[in-house]
Parts: sequence; structure tokens; C-alpha cells
Amino acid sequence: MRARIFLLLCGAALCLTTPAFGAPAAAADAEKIFTKANADYAAGKFPAAIEAYESLVQSRNWNPTLFYDLGNAYFRSGDLGRAILNYERALALDPNQPEARANLQLVRDQARALQLTAGWPEAHLDFLTRDQYAWLAMIAFWSGAAILCGLYFARRRSVVWIFALALSAAVSAGAALAVYELETGSAGRDLAIVTQKNIQARLATAESAGTVLALPAGSEIKILSTRGEWSYAALPNDLQGWIPAKAAEPVRL
Amino acid sequence: MLLFRRIGFFLFLALAGATSVRADAPTVTAVLTSSETEVDQPVQLQIKVTGDSNANPPEEIAVDGLDIRYTGQSQLMEGRNLRFTYSFVYNYTILPLKAGTFTIPPQTVQTSSGPLRTPALTLNVAPNDDGSTSTRRGKGSLNLKDIVFCELVIPKTTAYVGETIPAEIRLGFNTRVPSRLVQPAMLSGQGFTSQRLPNAAEQNPDQSMRTVNGRPFEVLTFKTAITPARSGKLEIAAKDAKAIVQVPRRRGSRPRSPFDLFGMDDPFNDPFFNDPFSGVGEQREVTFSSETTTIDVKPLPPNAPPSFSGAVGHFNLTTDVKPKTAQVGDPLTLTATVSGRGNFDRVNAPVLEDDRGWHTYPPGSNFKADDDIGLSGTKTFEMVLTPNEPKKKVPPLLFSYFDPLKEKYVTLKGNKLPVVVEGGAAPSATPAIASATKNPQPPTAQPTAAPREQDILYQLTDHGGWGRSFRPVFQQPVFWAVQGIPFLALVGFFGWEMRRRRLENRAGQRRLAWEQESAELHRKLRRANDPADKYFADALRVVQLKTALAAPGRAVEPNTVDAETAVAAFDLPDEKRARMRELFRQSDELRYSGRGNGNGAVAEETRREVLDLIDSLN
Repeated sequence: MRARIFLLLCGAALCLTTPAFGAPAAAADAEKIFTKANADYAAGKFPAAIEAYESLVQSRNWNPTLFYDLGNAYFRSGDLGRAILNYERALALDPNQPEARANLQLVRDQARALQLTAGWPEAHLDFLTRDQYAWLAMIAFWSGAAILCGLYFARRRSVVWIFALALSAAVSAGAALAVYELETGSAGRDLAIVTQKNIQARLATAESAGTVLALPAGSEIKILSTRGEWSYAALPNDLQGWIPAKAAEPVRL
Repeated sequence: MLLFRRIGFFLFLALAGATSVRADAPTVTAVLTSSETEVDQPVQLQIKVTGDSNANPPEEIAVDGLDIRYTGQSQLMEGRNLRFTYSFVYNYTILPLKAGTFTIPPQTVQTSSGPLRTPALTLNVAPNDDGSTSTRRGKGSLNLKDIVFCELVIPKTTAYVGETIPAEIRLGFNTRVPSRLVQPAMLSGQGFTSQRLPNAAEQNPDQSMRTVNGRPFEVLTFKTAITPARSGKLEIAAKDAKAIVQVPRRRGSRPRSPFDLFGMDDPFNDPFFNDPFSGVGEQREVTFSSETTTIDVKPLPPNAPPSFSGAVGHFNLTTDVKPKTAQVGDPLTLTATVSGRGNFDRVNAPVLEDDRGWHTYPPGSNFKADDDIGLSGTKTFEMVLTPNEPKKKVPPLLFSYFDPLKEKYVTLKGNKLPVVVEGGAAPSATPAIASATKNPQPPTAQPTAAPREQDILYQLTDHGGWGRSFRPVFQQPVFWAVQGIPFLALVGFFGWEMRRRRLENRAGQRRLAWEQESAELHRKLRRANDPADKYFADALRVVQLKTALAAPGRAVEPNTVDAETAVAAFDLPDEKRARMRELFRQSDELRYSGRGNGNGAVAEETRREVLDLIDSLN
């Protein structure tokens, strides 16, 4: 009886933690669409390839390769803003994908897109990804908890273990802080890419308002707030201004 | 300070009330603050009544050529050898209307003892500074210029369209007349713009003192700047300044005494004592304006340079660029600083002399004023520009303005800023491709899309599975599910350790009980008053307890200890081993054979041997 309950609980946990559970058919369909899109791209049918890739994006069948290929298709069709957007999305899913990084740099140069200035913490925390910092924080936290528990029951509290406890706490806190910095920084959750051309950031929510900065397609912005059809954003060169909300798309879906 | 004066006065009054002796008969005197004056220069007449608080001074004093007005009364307490006299001083302001010698006839003061008369007083009035022997006013009229004035000071009478000219509005207030500014003057006229003047609440003008026609004035100076917007004659004036002034009024009102005749620092010469309940003088709101000033505004000359944006004044230009080295396409920040004096609101960003090969973005600007009106200062422009091709320098910036002193256009040219811009038209292609080749799993190439130089990389077909999420790992359930593993492990360890400690604690308590029982029995055996069966039973129990205590960790129960176990537990010589066995045998024999079979008492020698055996079990 206990074994059955255990198996039942394990199954439920697996269902909860596996998003793709129970959707093998959808995965097969996605594979077909992806293959067709790649074939369209290879045949030079870039609009068809974009449509197929976008259908996969709409059905939430995401992976870094999909966004990378979609970025390539947009580049071939001349939409540099959306090309940059999809390369950024590919890198958001896999920060170490070299192809996306290379193409992003190339297209960004061609589009003369502006980039947000990374803050000091962001610039010096790039040796691990945000998720790796999260795991590091977790491991350090539980290590510290285990050491603390051991010290609690120990007859004699060793200096070495006390030092280890302090180290674990410091690493855990530092990693958590790094997660926060990366999540809220210029490349964090609010990063968006200007996808329309000839966008002017303005001082107020009106087309007649004064101009703050001209934003070429593909420029990075950080959405700070949204009011109606306008978004207030942090801009490159440490500026801030209002842009039409439809002019930019968030990197993270 | 005023409060202390008043408190002191009341204390003094109380003391005086207790000790004062009224004068036997009231007296009256009259004095002039000065017997010599000029036309329009007032002097004071004071009638002092001593010893009568209900005196009735003259309501009106009429002298041809003098305007005499009652301005209030004050009280004066004087003490000498603890005798205090109380006087009332009635104040009059005499304003000479014409030159000549005037005699103020004796005035009748009604007192409780009857009417008293003041002495006659003579006043010599000389013509005033401008030589006039009579006042310009009619009798009873108020000359506003003697109380307040307004001036508009503009340093130049010719200017150019767009040239910013500093201007000062000066408001003067006669310090001898209590007054309060309600509203500063406003610039009035057409064809110019001006900076907004602060209102009465936020004003913080410069203050100074000036003597005008012998009268001291406090002058408030408001600074502003005007900019002509069209050519021609520009008439401008500062108008509608408003102030509340306090002017003397006739009998019935009680203004403060303007001077202190009986002591310059007399604590009783205070407005509060004149009339603490109904205010002082007559308050009147007056409006005053400046004379109209005319400025001849000339148009700017034609043929302005292309980089001219309307700046008029005198300026300097400095430039800088950062970084000094970059790749083609990398942004450079060009900083242009325009400093000097002029209409900075028309100072726009300098332009590149030659922008070929550069892509420029709209600049941002920041202005820092060096004075109150923003006429002098520094305006800094930051421009982002990206090179489209390799460059060795940034072209100079051009900034044009019109110099009204030189009366011509001036074009400033910034320095050529050396930079090193390297790379081709698409510089990042090479490093991008290079980084791609470092990938341990090279992408699957599509044969129809061969990569060209400066082109994007191939399509990828290996995607590694679907359903990846943008959510950070700490927002995913699996992350928190994993937390359960160390959590459960930690909780398990904690519980196991707590249980072990509890068990250890129970065993310790049992051992403690055994030790206590063993010690008690040991003492009992030494007393030697038990029968043999009881004695040997106790001795056996002590041996069993010591054996159990000697075997920690083995969980030996004392009741299960037999002779061989006890012998094995201790390192005993053979003799004592035999004695141990004999002890067990005798105890069993006495226990199971019945009390009647045993001896009633234990022999002394046997008891000593038993105790010796037990003592050796340590």
C-alpha cells in the first residue's frame, strides 16, 4: 500500500514538473513544422519560413534554435529589428549559443542599433548565467543549513566548520544578489527590442512632445512602465523616455 | 526682545502701583525735536502731561504753512528715590509746507485739575535742496515719491533682435515710513520677451540702502533679462508694483511715535504702548511704476552662416570625444561645451563640418547657469555618432553666433579630434564566425545557404527538444521540488539526532540510578545489622550493579549478572574470583534454602571479606 502511494506521488510530481508531459503528439507536429520551415528557408522562401517559425512560437514550442533560425529568416527578409529580437530570445534561452551571439553582433552593427549600458554588477557577473547563480545560491544555502545543523549537534564546534558556514552563507547571499542584479538589470526581464523603424523616444506621451533619442530598429530598451499605448523606458546612453508600446517587443515571452 | 520689554514694563507698572505717589498737581510741557528744518522735512512736536492720566490734549493745531497731525500717544514712567511719576506724551508730526519762521501758539490741555497751557514754540523752516520755498503738494496730499519709488535700469539703449539684455527693477521704500511690498513690478511693453519675475512669496531680491533727496530708502533689486523679438523702438517700463504704506492720520488714529524725544532707547517708546489693540497709523495700498525706457532694436544682418541658430552674445566652444579607439559601427560620444554670455535658449548643438561617413543621433543638452538670470553659463551637448568606415579623426564642430559688440556673425570651429576607428564595413563578422567555430557541436549546414563574408551564420536544425521556458529557473516548479530533497534530508538528520540524544539520555539516567542504589547498599552493608540472607542478597545486588556499570555500551541488566559474568567483568586475582563465586553461591543458598537454614548474623570476618571484595570492584 505504501509503495503504491509513493508511486502515485512520484507520478503527480513528474506531471507537475514536466511541462511537456502528455504532449508527444504536439512535439511531433512541431518537429514537422520546424523541418518545413527550415526547408522553406533553404529554398529562399523567407516569408513562408517566418510564418512557420512564428506558428511554433505561438504554440509555445520554444527552444533556442527556433528563435535563432527565426532571427535568420527575419534578417534575410530585411527586418533587422525582429532579427535582433529573436537572436536576443535565443540567447535568453541559451546564453552560450555562439551562433546567435555572432549573428546578433553582425546584425546589430548593420542596423546601427543602440545598446543599453550594463551596470557595474552586470558587467562583472557574466561568468555564470542567471540560472547557474540560482542553483549556486541553492546549493550554498543547503550546505550552510547542513553545516549549521551539524554544528548544533556537535559536542565541540570546530573553527573550520564555522568558517565553512560563514562561507556558505556569503556565497548563498552573493549568488542570490547576482540573480537579482541579472534579473533586474539591462538584460533582465524587462529588456525589449525596438522592432519598428524611425522610432523617436519622447519626453511625454504625445507625438508632438520633444524628442529624447532616435532609436534605430533593433535598439535595446528596458521597459519601466506602461501607460496606455505608451511605454516609459530606459534608453541607451542612460536616457529615459516614452515610446509607443507597439514599437518594441519584450525579449522574454 | 520686544516681549521682554513689555513684560518688564508690566512688572514695572505693578511695582510702581505699589509704591508710586502721584504728583500733587499735573504739569504740561511741549518740545520740538528740532527748531530748524526744511520744506517737506517733518519734525515732531511732543506735549508731555505729567501727573494726570485723563488729560485731553488739543485735537487740532492750526498754523498757516505747517501741516500738523496727531500721530499718537505714549506713556512714560520715571522714578527718583522710589518716587514714580507717570507721564503721557502726545505726539504730533509737523510737515512744513513753505519756508519761513513759524510760531506754534500755546495749546490748552484739559486736565482733571483744570486747563493747562503749553509754552509757545518757534520753528524755522528753510527752503529745501532744490530751492523751492514751498511744497509741491496741496495741503493734506501724499507725495508718493517721498515714500516709494520704482526704477527700471537697462544698461544699454541699443540692441539686436534676439540679444538678451540684463535688466533690474529697483523698488525703494522710505525707511521712515512703515511699508510692505505686496507685488513686485511687472515689465510692460510689446515686442520683447522676458524672464518670469518671482512673485511676492518666492521673491528674494537684493537689498541695499540709498539716500534720495535726503531721505533714506531701502532698495529692493529684482534682476531679470529681456530679449527683443522685433526691430524698432522698444518702449518698456516696470509697472504696477504694489505696496502697503503707513501714513499719518488725524486725531482719532494712534500711530506710533516716529522718534524718541525723552530717551533714544526708551523701552516705553514702542508701538505696542502707543496702541496695542488697534494697530498703528493708517495703512494704504499704493501702486507705483517706473519711467518708460526706450531701446532701439536693430535687426540682425543678413547672410547668416548655415550653422547659425539664433544665438546672440559672446561664446566659446570646446569639444571632446570618447572613446578614442573604436571599431566601425561602434558609438562614439562627442561632447561640445558652449560657454559664455548670451541667449542660451537659442544656443543649439554645434554641427559636424563634414558628416560623410558618420551616422549621427540627436544630441542631449544640459545648461548650467553662472548667474541668477541665466545670461552667463555653460551649455553642454552630448552627441552619439557612429563611424560607417575607418576614420582617423572626428570632423570639427561648427557653431555660429552673432556678436553684438563686433556687430557681425562669428563661427567657432572646434578642434579636429583624433580617433582610431578600425575595421571594415561589418567588423564583427570575423569574430562572430570565429566564435562559432569554437562550438564543440558545429551546426548542421544547409547547403543552399552558403555563408558569405560578412554574412550571418547557417540555419541550425538540432534544437534539443521543445518546450523551453523563458521563466528563470527559480520560477519553475522543478527548482522548488528539488529543494525538497535537502530539506527532507536535513529534517531526517535532525530527527534522527534528536532521537539518539533522547535515548542516550535515558541510558544515562538508568546508570545514575544504579550508581545511587549501589552506593546506598554499600553503606547499608557497612552498618552490619541485617540478617545473613538479607546481607548476602544486598552484597550480591551491589556486585551485579557494579558489573552492569562496568560494562558501558553493552546494555547489561544487573539482574542478569551471574558469578561468571561478574568475574569476567573485572580483572581480579584468583583468590577474589573464588570469593566472588562463593558470594554468589552463599547468596543463592540463603535465598532459596529459607531463613531458618542460615545463621542469624553474619560473622565479622565474613563481612570484612565481602566488603573487601566489593571495594575491589572498581
